[in-house]
Amino acid sequence: MTTFFSTVKTARPALALLGLGLAGLAGCQPDIDANSPAASPGSADFTSYVAVGNSLTAGYTDGGVYNEAQANSYPALLAQQFAKTGKGPATFVQPAFSTAKKDGSGYIKLQVVNGAPTPVQPSLANNFLGEQVAFTGVTLPGGAQLEAYTGTQPDNLGVPGISVLSSVSALTNGLAPYGSINPFYERLLTTAEKPTKDYVTYIGQKTPTFFTCWMGNNDVLAYASAGGVVIATNPFGGLTDTTRFGIGYRAILQTISKNGTVKGAVANIPNVANVPFFTTVTVAAVLASYQRAIPALRDIYIQPGTTTGAANARAATSADLLTLTAQAFIAANPGVGTSPATAIPSQYVLDATELASVTARTTQLNAIIAKTALRFKVPVVDANTYFAGVAARGIATNGVDSNTTFVRGNFFGLDGVHPTPRGYALIANEWIRVINSYYGSTVPSLDANSYRGVLLP
Amino acid sequence: MQVKSLLLAGGTLLAASSAAQASGFQVGLTGAKNVGMGGTGTGLYLDQASQFFNPGAFAFAPTGFQVGGNIAIPRISFRPGAADQGQRNLQNTNVFPFSGFVGFGPKEGKWRLGLGVYTPFGSELHYQQGWEGRYSLTDINLRSVFGQATLAYAITPQFSIGGGVTTLLLGDVDLQRDIPVQGQGSTAPAHAQLTGKAEHKVGYNLGVMFKPSDKLSVGISYRSAVNAQINEGEIKLTGIPASAASNFTATKFAATLPLPDVYSFGIGVRPTDKLLLAFDANLVGWSRYQSLDFRYTNGVLGGPNATSSSSKRQYQDALAFRVGGQYKVTDNFTVRAGTFYDFSAVRDGFITPETPDADRIGATAGLSYEFAQRFGIDASFLFEDFKKRSQTQDDLISNGTTDRVAGTYKTVIFVPGVQLYVKF
Repeated sequence: MTTFFSTVKTARPALALLGLGLAGLAGCQPDIDANSPAASPGSADFTSYVAVGNSLTAGYTDGGVYNEAQANSYPALLAQQFAKTGKGPATFVQPAFSTAKKDGSGYIKLQVVNGAPTPVQPSLANNFLGEQVAFTGVTLPGGAQLEAYTGTQPDNLGVPGISVLSSVSALTNGLAPYGSINPFYERLLTTAEKPTKDYVTYIGQKTPTFFTCWMGNNDVLAYASAGGVVIATNPFGGLTDTTRFGIGYRAILQTISKNGTVKGAVANIPNVANVPFFTTVTVAAVLASYQRAIPALRDIYIQPGTTTGAANARAATSADLLTLTAQAFIAANPGVGTSPATAIPSQYVLDATELASVTARTTQLNAIIAKTALRFKVPVVDANTYFAGVAARGIATNGVDSNTTFVRGNFFGLDGVHPTPRGYALIANEWIRVINSYYGSTVPSLDANSYRGVLLP
Repeated sequence: MQVKSLLLAGGTLLAASSAAQASGFQVGLTGAKNVGMGGTGTGLYLDQASQFFNPGAFAFAPTGFQVGGNIAIPRISFRPGAADQGQRNLQNTNVFPFSGFVGFGPKEGKWRLGLGVYTPFGSELHYQQGWEGRYSLTDINLRSVFGQATLAYAITPQFSIGGGVTTLLLGDVDLQRDIPVQGQGSTAPAHAQLTGKAEHKVGYNLGVMFKPSDKLSVGISYRSAVNAQINEGEIKLTGIPASAASNFTATKFAATLPLPDVYSFGIGVRPTDKLLLAFDANLVGWSRYQSLDFRYTNGVLGGPNATSSSSKRQYQDALAFRVGGQYKVTDNFTVRAGTFYDFSAVRDGFITPETPDADRIGATAGLSYEFAQRFGIDASFLFEDFKKRSQTQDDLISNGTTDRVAGTYKTVIFVPGVQLYVKF
């Protein structure tokens, strides 16, 4: 066989000459016009872009905010894509941490524990997994204090943990000075501002030409992720009522849109049942794992609502959801849930009734968001429908399937609630789609596969 | 050839050129005289290449030896449907298809015996690092050599039959793609390289020719389907994180590519002594190729139960129409020209990066110079222009073909060729 190829090899120079003779023709690379028109801002003006929101806006992923995560937040991605229209923001400032403390509040890593990759939280005990965290050592009511941010007011105003209820101090009659409670908000304020400046005042200081606003998630999520258990000392741990949500949301949108004169877009609240924090540890899976040792076991038992005690425990059904944190609790307390006396505590359970109330409240709050958006003439990115779609069918982009399965799905990160950089890129594409449709712009979308999913050990 | 090889390869396997009559320049690349005439040949008996085009016609061909080669110069461009960061130009690599035939028999006798070797494909595609479709394909390198032994017999001076046995002498493939799994501390995703050699499968081709006069000849031929089968391909993986290693244990794969059969019909007309016109039609049975299936023979690839994978192809039968002619300017010098239109075997919404097929139109030219009525040189040039072909992500979702990229492809191919011959 090689003889044939070597025959060809000797013929090659002759052929090459022939080829050279036709080099003019042969140099032609076909040109394909772009499938979509050149990037333009349409009727929007992206020269000064501000993002308002919570952890999803801040780029929170894998259980923390850190410089690398901020660079992959959807507002950072949007700013990057807006810039391609020629009328985009010259800079987009994030509340970054100093270089020596670039890992901010730390992030969960997958480590191989007993042969299986397990999410491990950084803590003092494990030297924060070697991460360069920014904790000062002081503890605030809402968590460990972080290094203060000393730069100019950022353009990404996302504050992890903030809700509509905690954004407007009038809603709690100023009882809860949020700037002294939440470490992510506290680090943005001066000492004088901390006890007095609420979020709605803080965002009012900016003068954007375009804004995005994604608020409301924590008005239901705080309650849901605590298994429906509200700690008395946390004024923001319940489901926010529709009246105060309406007042607060209108105030936020009125402030950031400068009374409807600034263009922007808002997003609504996804259903908590679509995130792997609630769908990974299933009742069926826990039952099956117990049945390996106890084949006769028929049900596992949970404490519904906020009850305690065996008399109030009941068998779990497929309509009940267990939190991701239940997994570690079950591992640390073998046998928990196998009988009413050892029922899984209610803070690890979002039972069917609690779930129904969370879903119903989400729907009500989304209706308020829709009405308010209409009033201030901005489009709504239907995150609720989008996340439900990804949870049901996954999403395929350029030959890669992403879905909401914990770890392997690559859409959600290791805390089970916040997306991976790839997930944020997919969400940014959805923002872009809605903005383009409403403002007639042609902001280019992102290749989500260029952003990482979950990194495996 | 390159594109068609991709077409046939469907991603990993080799394809028999013989089967791919409807593959544009591929047909032409066997026999420089035929290339110059638009790839016609079923109704002609010009030289030894008739062993390939119509074994029946071979009975009327002169005896002799010929060997030739080509440079296939492709230029392929891709533009993604969304997240467009600009046109992607593939690192086009030239490939060198060649063919050689020898034919024996009594000069004015009734029979012919021939042997031939040809390379249906030698294809190399290297996509830009980090391109949109890298999880579908990053590189492909394909080589194949076919051999054929032919016997033809002229039952009457007007009617002949012939048959050949074809065999895949050498076929190998090297296919690479990225895997959407990434390890901590890694800046790039994992990567897979699949290499394999095909079994020496055997096929046949049959032909008849009806030559009522020196002015008219009509031929029909049929090449059989052949399965290009890789039994023990090798899988080489890089960058698989340790915790995912149990999902990527396979090191060997098996895959089979059904290569289609081809029906051909051709006419040759000689209105004057100097002028020859030819017309060919081919129907290639591509609908045999419904999916590309891999079996991982000693482990899994991609998941705890992933012992196989399947990718939709659903190719459709394809027609090609060819017209060509040659004109004897002097006794020693002949010029040729031709054109063809070749329909795509790939349906809308099913285009894969290793097979960016489309309907194509070709233009060919050629010339021959003969010395002492015995030795000669043929030169040919083929230009093939593919129609721009697009698919959107919605197309892929509705067809269930989301394992490939949405976007637009455009290909052009230039193929100069040369051939030397001796008449016995």
